[in-house]
Amino acid sequence: MNLLVCISKTPETTAKIAFKDENSSFDTDGVQFIMNPYDEWYALVRALELKEQHGGKVIAINVGDSSNDPVIRKALAIGADEAVRVDIEATSSFFVAKQVAEYAKSNDIDIVFTGKETIDYNGAEVGGMIAEMLEQPYFSFASHMDHDGSTATVTRDIEGGVEVAEINGKFVISAAKGLAEQRIPNMRGIMMAKRKPLNVIPAVEAEGNVKVLSYELPPVKGGITMVDADDMDKLVKLLHEEAKVL
Amino acid sequence: MAKEYISIRNLKFLMSEVLEVDKLFLFTKFKDYDWEAFQMTLQASKDLSDKYLFPIFTEMDKKKAYYDETSKSVKAHPGLYQAIKALGEGGWIGSNSSYEQGGQQMPITLLNAGRMIQHAANANAAAYGLLTDGAANLIRAFATEDLIDLYVPKMMSGVWQGTMALTEPQAGSSLSDVKTSATPNDDGTYNIKGQKIYISGGDYEDAENIIHLTLARIDGAPIGTKGISLFVVPKYRNENGQSVSNDVVTAGLFGKMGQKGYVAAHLMMGESEDCMGYLVGVPHNGLKYMFQMMNEARIGTGAMATGTASAAYYASLQYANERPQGRHPSSKDPNDPQVLIIEHADVRRMLLFQKSIVEGSAALVLQCSYYADLAENSEGEEKENAHLLLELLTPVVKSFPSEWGNLSVSAGMQVLGGAGYTDDFPLEQYYRDIRVNAIYEGTTTIHGMDILGRKVMMNNGKAIQLLVLEMAITIKDASSHSHINPYAEKLDKASSSLRKTTSHLVEIAIKEAPEVFLSDATLYLEFFGIVTIAWLWLRQGISAQKSIDNGVSESENDFYQGKIHTMKYYFEYELPKIDALQKRLLSDDKLTLNIESSYIN
Repeated sequence: MNLLVCISKTPETTAKIAFKDENSSFDTDGVQFIMNPYDEWYALVRALELKEQHGGKVIAINVGDSSNDPVIRKALAIGADEAVRVDIEATSSFFVAKQVAEYAKSNDIDIVFTGKETIDYNGAEVGGMIAEMLEQPYFSFASHMDHDGSTATVTRDIEGGVEVAEINGKFVISAAKGLAEQRIPNMRGIMMAKRKPLNVIPAVEAEGNVKVLSYELPPVKGGITMVDADDMDKLVKLLHEEAKVL
Repeated sequence: MAKEYISIRNLKFLMSEVLEVDKLFLFTKFKDYDWEAFQMTLQASKDLSDKYLFPIFTEMDKKKAYYDETSKSVKAHPGLYQAIKALGEGGWIGSNSSYEQGGQQMPITLLNAGRMIQHAANANAAAYGLLTDGAANLIRAFATEDLIDLYVPKMMSGVWQGTMALTEPQAGSSLSDVKTSATPNDDGTYNIKGQKIYISGGDYEDAENIIHLTLARIDGAPIGTKGISLFVVPKYRNENGQSVSNDVVTAGLFGKMGQKGYVAAHLMMGESEDCMGYLVGVPHNGLKYMFQMMNEARIGTGAMATGTASAAYYASLQYANERPQGRHPSSKDPNDPQVLIIEHADVRRMLLFQKSIVEGSAALVLQCSYYADLAENSEGEEKENAHLLLELLTPVVKSFPSEWGNLSVSAGMQVLGGAGYTDDFPLEQYYRDIRVNAIYEGTTTIHGMDILGRKVMMNNGKAIQLLVLEMAITIKDASSHSHINPYAEKLDKASSSLRKTTSHLVEIAIKEAPEVFLSDATLYLEFFGIVTIAWLWLRQGISAQKSIDNGVSESENDFYQGKIHTMKYYFEYELPKIDALQKRLLSDDKLTLNIESSYIN
């Protein structure tokens, strides 16, 4: 079973977020990056579990320049057998999906894993686009998957409940919390990661037609106003005039 | 609960910009390491700590380990076994040993950086891994292949735990009075009989086995330290492939002020005349062997204290950033909104105090670890010098983070005011937990006598000369940075004071009885520690200034400016304290010697 896991680089969760170029792009200066947790904790680990169960190999794939290598190496340290980096800046979800889909087509991939979304742009788009490009079924927000080697049973989180579906053959899946349990790389894995192949390949042509115009930070949270429990008039006034909920 | 407990960014700064760890990659043992592997290892330690250690930190205190009279067993937090196994599976036990021995040839510098993260997350749980690592290393270094094969792999996996069983009711700091006996059997084993107290990690029921590295006296051995031997004494021994009880019985646990999740056991060995011990190395060399483990544990204790002080710092920092209280003294209008307490000068002073101690201690732990790596792997003069510097600074790295960490956590509690004294916040636990570090692995008094009575004198004072030379190199390096140079001058003056005071005390050693010479050794150790940390802060200041001069992002600028301002704080507020210490150390007044005990009673 050939399993391809999409690995994204995202800002560390405590990083200070700022924008540049008239708020049209993210300012990465001084930002520490990590592997997108949904990719690392759920997508990659479930792929490793399947490999341990049925054999085959796990390939981590990333689109970006060499500054992404530490994140890719971490995927290797956790247990991926090899890694591929498409050597070009990831400009849009469509562009990334195109690169991954082309690689999957030419490498006989059985299952493509993505995280349910990245924690920076929260697009949740790449998985669906890959599936469309590969003309394969897509299971988004999967919180559980069993696979007997030929048939997969996938549980998806849906509004107010879950959906259980079955699939024979190749497919694309986006991993949500619950699909697997985080694995922390051990020292042996970290040292072995350096010896595993990280293949750098050129990008295929792809044109996206979406252009981001600007980003905006959420408004700064206001302070807490303490109101005396006996002063209902003041509370009503504040709710009416400041919170504007009455 | 606070969100953060340590700064990975700071550890990276100390290792890559202050210590220049890439020099280590040139050694054969560390050739597979690079900076990327270092960073990934630090993150792995943080991930492990986030998942297994930090979540049970408070619970291990609230639901403390206890001795269950009914089952006659020690009950510890259910998450503890999983945490220790995670440390073993993560490769954190025995990681410095060779690939052939199952280790990862990890530099001690990286190992102790990773450990500081684990101790900051939860020293109660991480300490079990530290002890097991030290015990496994001791067996590997001195025991027979049979003992190594039987014990070390399971200890490295975290399934079996290790302890150091030294202290007895009549023999604490004075190990020459150890009485536990070892009677030889015909098959080469020994029958062990005696009591051991305050045995950290000494027992808990989830551990499949606990391996006590035990000091005992073979029948007929010379009195004093030269008659002490080292034995492996397991809780369960192997008999024809079966695991059977080895007559190591827990008489009870000591009720402790802090670290309540980390048991301190009273062990009875051989009460039923059925406790087997297995000799490590040759007879009567036990204390010498044990010092390997103790020296590792002394750096480990410094790392533990640093970790706890770090967690306390981040808890009080978070509170100071969230708690509005009071107004600036110049604000006269009560309708003005309250300001966050981090805006108040005295709160900033306390936070800077904490930061200067935490990051100064972390620098010291890593510096000593770096010397340990050089001492093990380099050649010739560099090897000898690193060994001497490590020997000299071992009492400092054990004592400074412990003693000043206590003060630092106390300041952290003060930042929270009344809230800090309640168990709604973790400061009160950190305050109780950190206290023991000044007692573990030799009290501060013992280390004071060690540095003044042995370390300063060894090799005709070569070690302290090397340290002074290291300081001089740093002072010279600082002279090319105009913003930093005033602090280099202060360190130069402090270094001169240290030399002058040391010379004075050495003269006393020649002229007077040891009691006189050593009577204020603890104060000398304090003096020594303050100056050493000033040196390490100056090095941090220089590195930070270099980065600023090269141009950094806004957030990175905050980090480096924080370094420089904390260095300034340390030099302005803490370093001057050596003046009072020096005055006392140069005084001829023998007050503590001349006073009658009855005057105190």
